[in-house]
Amino acid sequence: MSYTEEQLAAMVRGDSVHRGVYTDPAIFDLEMQRIYGRAWVYVGHESQVPKTGDYHTTRVGDQDVLMVRAADGNVHVLYNRCPHKGAKLVADGEGCVGKFFRCPYHAWTFKLDGSHLGVPLKQGLEGTSYDPADPSFSMRRLARVDAYRGFVFASQSKEGPALVDFLGGVRSSIDNLCDRSPVGEVEVAGGIFRVMQRSNWKVFYENLHDTMHARVTHESSYAAARDEAKEMGEMPLELHIMDGNGEPYEFWEKLELRAYDNGHGYMEGIFNPGAAERDPVSRAHFDTLTTAYGEERAREILGMNRHNTVIYGSGSPHTVFQQFRVIRPIAVDRTLIEIQTFRCKGAPDGVFKRAMMYANVINSPSSNVMPDDIELYNRCQEGNATRGGEWVSMHRYHGSDRSDADGMVSVNGTSELPMRNQFRAWKTYMEAGATAAGAATGDSTCC
Amino acid sequence: MLLDLDFDVSTTGLSPADVPADTYHRIAQFLYREACLLDERRYDDWQSLWTSDGMYWMPRVVGQQSPFDHISLFWEDRMLRDVRIRRLEHPRNWSQQPPTRSVRLVGGVQVEGVDAGGNLVVHSVFQMTEWRKRQPRQLAGRYTHKLAAEGDSWRIRMKRVDLVNCDDAHDVFEVFV
Repeated sequence: MSYTEEQLAAMVRGDSVHRGVYTDPAIFDLEMQRIYGRAWVYVGHESQVPKTGDYHTTRVGDQDVLMVRAADGNVHVLYNRCPHKGAKLVADGEGCVGKFFRCPYHAWTFKLDGSHLGVPLKQGLEGTSYDPADPSFSMRRLARVDAYRGFVFASQSKEGPALVDFLGGVRSSIDNLCDRSPVGEVEVAGGIFRVMQRSNWKVFYENLHDTMHARVTHESSYAAARDEAKEMGEMPLELHIMDGNGEPYEFWEKLELRAYDNGHGYMEGIFNPGAAERDPVSRAHFDTLTTAYGEERAREILGMNRHNTVIYGSGSPHTVFQQFRVIRPIAVDRTLIEIQTFRCKGAPDGVFKRAMMYANVINSPSSNVMPDDIELYNRCQEGNATRGGEWVSMHRYHGSDRSDADGMVSVNGTSELPMRNQFRAWKTYMEAGATAAGAATGDSTCC
Repeated sequence: MLLDLDFDVSTTGLSPADVPADTYHRIAQFLYREACLLDERRYDDWQSLWTSDGMYWMPRVVGQQSPFDHISLFWEDRMLRDVRIRRLEHPRNWSQQPPTRSVRLVGGVQVEGVDAGGNLVVHSVFQMTEWRKRQPRQLAGRYTHKLAAEGDSWRIRMKRVDLVNCDDAHDVFEVFV
C-alpha cells in the first residue's frame, strides 16, 4: 500500500509505534528513499582504499555503491553502474582498478572520479546524441560525499545539513576513537565480520541502548562466564566482557543515556577496561598517549568510558574496543551487520590485539553473546507479523526526558528515551520525504 | 590466553610421518568419533579429547596464516570452549530453543606429516548439515587436526576448520563445526 503523510505520522506516537514500521515492505521501500535516500550514511573508512585505484564496494540503503581513491588523493563514492548497459563495473568486495574503471562488458572507461573517459570505436557514436561531457554518460556520484576524521559518509540528497552538523553530539565518539591513537588516526585492520539477521534494521538500533534486556536476554552467557571464572578462581578479560551484561537493575538505572537530533545517541560504558592501571596493555597505551598529548589529556581520552554509540542510519562505533558495527538494511526482515575493527596508529600492538580479542569474543558470528540478541530480534519480527496487537511500547520514563544544550538526556538509565528519539528522527525523515517527494533520490542532476 | 602468541598454528614444513595401515585406521576412527560426539552434543566427552593447551580455530578468510593479526570465526582455548558448552547447556539459552541439530560426514582422511612440536598433522574433509527453527544449513570444508600422541591414542592440540565459504556473510555459529 502507499502511505499519506498523515498515515505515516499516525504510526508513531510519543510512547509507542505501530508494528507495521517493522513488517511492511512498503514502509521499508519508503525508508530506503526518505531515510537512506537523504541522510548521511557511513560508507567506509579511508584506510580501506589506501592507494590510487583501490575500491571498496558496499551499500547505501538499497543502492550498490563503491568507494574509490583517485590519483589526487580524494575519495569518491559512486553508484556501481556503467551508464551504457547498466552493468556493475566492479564485483562485490574490494580490489584495485588501476588508473581508470573499464567496464567488463563493452570496455567503456571512466576516470577514478567516475567521469567519462572513452569508448572503443568511437566513430560509431558520431552523429548521435552521445556526449562525453553529458553526466549521463559518466558513472554517477552520490550527491554529497564528506569525511570526518577518515570516516567517509555519503548522502544521496543534495539538500540537508553538513556532515558535522548531522553528526552533532556523536562526533565526540569518533573523536575519542581517533584520539586513542597518539597520531590521532585509526585504520580498519584485521578483517571484517559479516552477520546476516532475520529482522528489521530498526530493532538493532533500538537494542543498542536498551539496558533492560541485558540481564534477561544474556543470562546464559554471563552465567556461563561467571561459572567458568569461579572454577578458575580468576576472571580474565575474555570473561569480564561477557560478565558485564549480568549487572543488577540498580547498575543500569544509574547509567546515562544521551539522545541527539537525527536519531543519534550514546550510552556510558558498562565496564571499565581502562581502570586497569594494573593491566599492562592499558598502562602501555596510557604511556604512549602521555608522550603524545601530556598526562592530563591522556587521562581524559582513556577515561571516556563510552559503550555503544548510535549513528542513526550508519551503525554503532565502540570507542574503547575500536569496533564499528555497520548496520545495512537488506529487506524489511533482513539486516546485514558489518563489523569493522580499527587499529589505533602508533599505539602499542597489544591495544590492537585486545580489540581483535573483543571482536572474536563479542562480535564474531560465533559469539556467545550475540546469538541471543539475534534470536530476540527474530522473535520480535515473527511476533509483530501476527495480529496479536498493533502497538509496540516505548513507555519507560516517557514524559520525563530532560533537554539540555545539544540534545536530551535520560532521567534513568533504563529509560526508553533512545527508542523514542530514534522514532522522532524516523518521523521527521518520513514526513519530510512525503512533502519533498523526489528531492531525495534518483532525479539528482549532480556530478 | 588467546594472546598466547607462541602457539604454533602452522601446518607447513612438516617432516614425513611413517603411519602403518592399522594406525591410519585408528586415526580415521578417532576423527569419526570426535564428529559423533559433537553431533550427539556430548561436549564433556569431546573436551576430554583435547590437550589442556589445545586451540580450536575457524579462519575468517581463505589461506589465513594467523589468528593473532586477523579476526577468526572461532579462536577458542579450553576456557572459551568451556564457556560455550556451559552456555549451550544453560536452561535460558534462548537461541538454542530448540537446540541446533547436526550431523557430520567426515572423509578423505590424509596424514600429512609431523610438525616441529611432534604433533601428527591430519587433513580431512567434512560436510555438516545443521537444522534449527525450520532453517537447514549446509556447511562444508576441510579439517586440519594436530594430534598429540598419548598412549595408543591421541589428544587434539589444534583443530582448524576451513569452511569453503569462510568469507561469506554468515548466520550465527552456536555449536562447534
